[in-house]
Amino acid sequence: MNHANPKIARRDFLKTGATALGATAFTLPQLLPKGVLAAAGQPGANDRLVTGHIGVGGMGGGHLGYMVGRMSRGDVRVAAVCDVDEKRLAGALERAGEQARPYRDYRYVLERKDIDAVVIATPDHWHAVQTVHAAESGKHVYVEKPACCTIEEGKAMVAAAKASKVAIQVGSQGRAQPECYRAHLYIANGMIGTVRKVTCWHYETPADNHPVPDSEPPPELDWDLWLGPLRWRPYNARYLHGVFRWMMESGGGQIRDRGAHVMSNALKIMNADHTGPVSIEAKGTLPTRGLWDSAITMEVVYEFKNPDWTLVWSQPGKRIPYYNPDRKIRDGYGAVYHGDKDTLILWAGDGQTFTEPKAKDYKLPPGGIDVPKAVNFNNHDDWFEGIRTGKPTIMNVQAGVATAFLTVLGNLSLVLGRKLHWNPVTQEIVGDEEARRKMSRPQRYPYVL
Amino acid sequence: MVNPEPRTPLTMTMNASKPAALAATPLAALSQMAPAATSPTVEQLVAHIQNTNDSIRGPAWQNAGPAGAPAVKPLAGLMTHKDFEIARAAKRGLWKIVRHAGRPGAQAEAESVERELIPLLASTPHTVRREVLWMLSEIGTDRAVEPMAVLLADKDSREDARCSLMRIPGPKAVAALKTAFGAAPEDFKHALAHALRVRGETVAGYPTRKRVPTKQTSVKQPTS
Repeated sequence: MNHANPKIARRDFLKTGATALGATAFTLPQLLPKGVLAAAGQPGANDRLVTGHIGVGGMGGGHLGYMVGRMSRGDVRVAAVCDVDEKRLAGALERAGEQARPYRDYRYVLERKDIDAVVIATPDHWHAVQTVHAAESGKHVYVEKPACCTIEEGKAMVAAAKASKVAIQVGSQGRAQPECYRAHLYIANGMIGTVRKVTCWHYETPADNHPVPDSEPPPELDWDLWLGPLRWRPYNARYLHGVFRWMMESGGGQIRDRGAHVMSNALKIMNADHTGPVSIEAKGTLPTRGLWDSAITMEVVYEFKNPDWTLVWSQPGKRIPYYNPDRKIRDGYGAVYHGDKDTLILWAGDGQTFTEPKAKDYKLPPGGIDVPKAVNFNNHDDWFEGIRTGKPTIMNVQAGVATAFLTVLGNLSLVLGRKLHWNPVTQEIVGDEEARRKMSRPQRYPYVL
Repeated sequence: MVNPEPRTPLTMTMNASKPAALAATPLAALSQMAPAATSPTVEQLVAHIQNTNDSIRGPAWQNAGPAGAPAVKPLAGLMTHKDFEIARAAKRGLWKIVRHAGRPGAQAEAESVERELIPLLASTPHTVRREVLWMLSEIGTDRAVEPMAVLLADKDSREDARCSLMRIPGPKAVAALKTAFGAAPEDFKHALAHALRVRGETVAGYPTRKRVPTKQTSVKQPTS
């Protein structure tokens, strides 16, 4: 197709197609049915979602591999790969194929009019800025969790999504999993009674037991661009890759890495995506040496009101082994839902989420309450559906930000060494001037919201 | 940015009423105790932070909060120690002091710490100045604005000064940013314009550069 404005035309085209055929006609995995809009077996360029991938190591590499796989099905075209590490970028370019172009600076990706959507899998301190910029550029966004590092960032993400009307999916994929849905269904239909408490367990954050002095960054790394919004400091090899998540500024420890999964499920099941706690109190132990400053052990108690319930994040907490010893799953983290009639356990909570047989086998009775469900129980497919239809996705930006706020507030309470009080309506800390100032973290120019 | 709330009125705090006898408590016991319950002398704190044993140094900085204003300068002096673990422990200990002093109801402590931090902006290495700017961003008042704003003209720390001033509530910080904007070199004006806009000011010209790409990759597409 040859449109004067290919991007707008393609979007209109997709929406028109969705409306005309009905959402149910668009059973994924295909974005649009082959042969309907293009020559049979040879989808045209305008039938595909054109993606750019910002951050291509770690989880970003996984997302890239997934989208490259979808290219062979004809509903995706990976047009750009971007990373501040040239070695990673070169490797990603090779995987992405000859149609992709490499970039160091994500803003070149956002300038490209042919790109519909971006997948952001950079360290946490970049998530909000890149998401907001992408939304302002009219791109749909899949952003890794946790969504934001500060309250200000989260609010900006929600505002940008609302203003630009793009679909933003946050990568807490646990709530898209089938057994999370089954657990939610089970609890929503009163099978364990009224839930007043959710307790999470997760193993500890590692300590930096091999600290090294600051040094020159390796030649393949653009250190300035890696830091981005963070205040400048000398390079240290213990900042990256992957281990950024043990630094409070760029990650925040297990409560943010996996808490963004486990507590995302809790907010969904407790129907609390649109609210938040009224108080947050954290305690924990900090590492005695090394660069990483996130809490090794940690307990955070969140009190919710109307309805009243308590969420507890515990590192390590009390590990509950999976009920079936013959099946090896990751049971080093999970959550227990405490009802007044019974309890229910969800193990893990991220890409793999497991629950008890009583919930897995539960059949929704006539007149029972159904609960939100991801398309194909797949976070990516659900995002594609959101792009196509404009409907909220399972881990939409508001839900992602609500979850991230729990992690932000938990760490903030720990860092400040005191209980915080939170107004979930205005989304502000109350009664603590220093904590209120820390709801934002002014960013290094020009890497700003 | 967030609108500040007025500080809680000054009340007697645990720190303010701390008996001197507690100052002699052996530091080894501190890790077993609540940080606000006791504190070492400044000399003990400084000695323990310079200890190369993590099990002594770690609890020392982690419990440094109640040491308060008297420990600010000595810890700042250790932030450039040649042993990077000692320097890091001193920095983290100083942060503990700032956060402890910033708690609700401890206005007098916060002001005492602020008064100790401000002189460090003038004479210390820029690595320390930068850190102190961020500390003041959390507990600084109008008193800190002018000395912080001086560093808007210091190329080594001006960006940290700009960010830190953005967090200081009230018109004085905005006025300082405005004054700096008028005198700033061209390459810093965009950043200051951004800061002023975030604080609700209208700035002519100097449109945002936040989405302007600047950095090219050296990775090339393979030639097919």
